[in-house]
Amino acid sequence: MRKLGDRLDAFQQANEARNKPPPAQTSLSIAFRFSTEMVAALIVGGGIGYGIDWLAGTKPIFLIVFFVLGAAAGILNVIRAAKEINARIAAKKDGD
Amino acid sequence: MAMNPMEQFAVKPLIPLHIGGYDVSFTNQSLWMCIVIGAITLFMAMATSKRSLVPGRMQSMAEISYEFVANMIGTAAGEDGLRFFPFVFTLFMFVLFSNFLGLLPGSFTVTSQIVVTFALAAFVVAMVIVVGFIRHGIGFLKLFVPHAPWYLLILLIPIEFISFMTRPISLSVRLFANMLAGHTLLKVFASFVIALGGAGGILSLLSVAPFFLIVAITALELLVAFLQAYVFAILTCIYLNEGLHLHEHH
Repeated sequence: MRKLGDRLDAFQQANEARNKPPPAQTSLSIAFRFSTEMVAALIVGGGIGYGIDWLAGTKPIFLIVFFVLGAAAGILNVIRAAKEINARIAAKKDGD
Repeated sequence: MAMNPMEQFAVKPLIPLHIGGYDVSFTNQSLWMCIVIGAITLFMAMATSKRSLVPGRMQSMAEISYEFVANMIGTAAGEDGLRFFPFVFTLFMFVLFSNFLGLLPGSFTVTSQIVVTFALAAFVVAMVIVVGFIRHGIGFLKLFVPHAPWYLLILLIPIEFISFMTRPISLSVRLFANMLAGHTLLKVFASFVIALGGAGGILSLLSVAPFFLIVAITALELLVAFLQAYVFAILTCIYLNEGLHLHEHH
């Protein structure tokens, strides 16, 4: 019976090691994440600006303003994504 | 022998169908979505049919995926996020199976179509907005108001708003572009093998090089397929967390 218990313990340890994802973020996926955040913000900002211009007939004032705001939002997004990834890495280190 | 690496992404109607002027044909896209859903259903049904105390191979696979998603929601969205377990689990399994089945030669990758990924992402964000308004009422809009003096808010509220609106786009583009790029790369290298192999002489021997590269890229693609499903699901959890708890940005 004790033998069985030992084997179970060993198995559980092996299992824990195996169940230890979340997978390491590869640097490729991190780079991809940042670039999509940035580009998406520019597209959305430009799109909103273009939409307002189209409605108000003020081309291209709002397009320019919202493109700049979009760039700011993109940088904000990237900073947030970086913080979140850092936090996840830190949490993972604590868990080990 | 011109091979178009983008041909694999073409949506072709299998059963043409037009209703009220709209093209609602049953395409290879629809077929593979059905296959994906069928495969998930089959997998879960087979895995849970025995319900043994000591799980078999299938059952433990299902249990691992259950625990994996449950852990993810628990850490990213908190305990009350677990109410959204069915949603996140369905999303994760759908993306995962689409990515994996898309790697089979001759198959069609559902998630390589931006229509599909954008529909999924837009649904996630719409859900976050609905949940946020149900939970916090009009107070959900505080999400767009950071702590700052009022004269900065004029600038910051639009920025926060744009930042929020980028979510469906960045979420969908990431998944779609990863799948599209990976599969195109595989096809391009595969055409190198054939072109070099057919060239004759010393060049035929060289065709081994891109072949090994394909093997390596396929392994990488397996990782990417899983990773992207994971990223999609965890970002869903993070966004849900904001809808549920209105987390303040620091």
